[in-house]
Amino acid sequence: MKETPQEKKIHENMKAGVLTMHGFLGDDDRHFHEIIAEDKAALEKLGLSCYQIADKLQQITDKAYNSYQDSILLDDKLLVSYNSVRGKTICPFGHPGGYPKGEIKLKNLENGRTIVWTPLNIHMIREHCFFEGEGSKHRLDPQIIKKTLF
Amino acid sequence: MIITIANTVIIVSGISGFLAFLLVLAEKFFANYGECKIDINGKKELVIEGGSSLLASLNENKIFLASACGGRGSCGFCKCTVKSGGGPLLPTEKPFLNSQEINKGVRLACQIKVKEDLQIEIPEEIFNIRKFKAEVSQIRNFTYDIKELTLKLIEPNEIDFKAGQYVQLEAPPYEKSKHSVTRAYSIASSPLHKDYIQLIIRRVPDGICTTYIFDYLQQGDNINFTGPFGDFIIRDTQSDMLFVAGGSGKAPIKSMLEYLQNQGSKRRMIYMFGARTKDDLYLTEEFRELEEKLADFTYVPVLSKPKEGTDWQGKTGYIPPYFPEYIKDPQNTEAYLCGSPGMIAAVKKGLLENGVSEDKIYYDSF
Repeated sequence: MKETPQEKKIHENMKAGVLTMHGFLGDDDRHFHEIIAEDKAALEKLGLSCYQIADKLQQITDKAYNSYQDSILLDDKLLVSYNSVRGKTICPFGHPGGYPKGEIKLKNLENGRTIVWTPLNIHMIREHCFFEGEGSKHRLDPQIIKKTLF
Repeated sequence: MIITIANTVIIVSGISGFLAFLLVLAEKFFANYGECKIDINGKKELVIEGGSSLLASLNENKIFLASACGGRGSCGFCKCTVKSGGGPLLPTEKPFLNSQEINKGVRLACQIKVKEDLQIEIPEEIFNIRKFKAEVSQIRNFTYDIKELTLKLIEPNEIDFKAGQYVQLEAPPYEKSKHSVTRAYSIASSPLHKDYIQLIIRRVPDGICTTYIFDYLQQGDNINFTGPFGDFIIRDTQSDMLFVAGGSGKAPIKSMLEYLQNQGSKRRMIYMFGARTKDDLYLTEEFRELEEKLADFTYVPVLSKPKEGTDWQGKTGYIPPYFPEYIKDPQNTEAYLCGSPGMIAAVKKGLLENGVSEDKIYYDSF
């Protein structure tokens, strides 16, 4: 696939060892445009939007952040913890600003599903509809998000 | 048919090549900014070849603004005031600047490309910041995820810093990282030791720099850092001091307490250290010894999740609920915090609820 210089830069930023140790693509061979397009199509089928998911993840993140160290139980079924660490990371798409490092882990106690995300994931979902490539550490599959959060 | 396709390919390739050549020429002639002057504080003038970022140009001339992200525009540390030149404020800078800073002309040096003469202002203490080459003379494991590095200075061979300040350590490219990265770490040793520094570093899961430190860096290796940076320093008052830290946040507090002990400080000091289990505690004996050496110092480790069956007799739970027990005079208390952003937020909230003034709560926000 032909890439503009801007797309090349984004692609490079997504590789392992550039912005983060494992990168954002996992073992996915698809171009990031294809990943985004296929996830958008999956979302449409599920009746969800990137904004809805980003909003939901942000709400949960804020509640977990305020709980400091402790796990919290939301809606009687979502067990959430926030592992806050120092430092910030940046958006591979070149969006300005820094996003706190750290992970939010959520387990749905009803179905046992667990998802893990970072503040950068929320930004990438909201602004770029990018859920990361298959096999990436913080890949958030739309189907699994739906089953876990909604 | 094939000949037509081949001709088309050749023509398109030729045009593309010609355009690329024109771009190279344009870059050479039109993007050549020539020599540019950077006036610093009206006292020092640098003459540099234009085209690089202001941050890089200053670094090349051994003037080191803080930068924890290596100039990627993600940390917002490399602020300086631009009096003239520098072009318009960029969208990449806005998230890091408040309206007051924007009005004063504060900019991020990593985002300004030097294309013309510039007049800038930076704090005088920045001239004290140097790039150091050091040898890793000792590595000690404190816990399963916390190490101490002792860095013996090679060039320059001495450092002047204030207790509480930090340095930016440079991890070179290695197997798992394509570029060198810099990360900020507080100095743990006393400023009275000028020929070495100690750092206390906690492994960040999948962190590029800490993976290098934990899995690749060996005793005897050389490593570079710049510093000292930061204004998380002891305020010269007689107020009570409350230190709160977690994890590797013990580093600057250790430096401060060792310095205060050397100065014979009589100030009332409490140090509350938060950890999950006993396995996360370290340097406990050293701080118990400081209780003997300092006139009025108490060390209070607090475990949030002590394992069942362990013989922990100390405080449990979270730190903020213990504030009423240890803060005698909130209006006369300075709080020095070091830890994760989540910990800082929770502790700061607790301090404010207990009457400590916001302007007396100090911490580094990286």
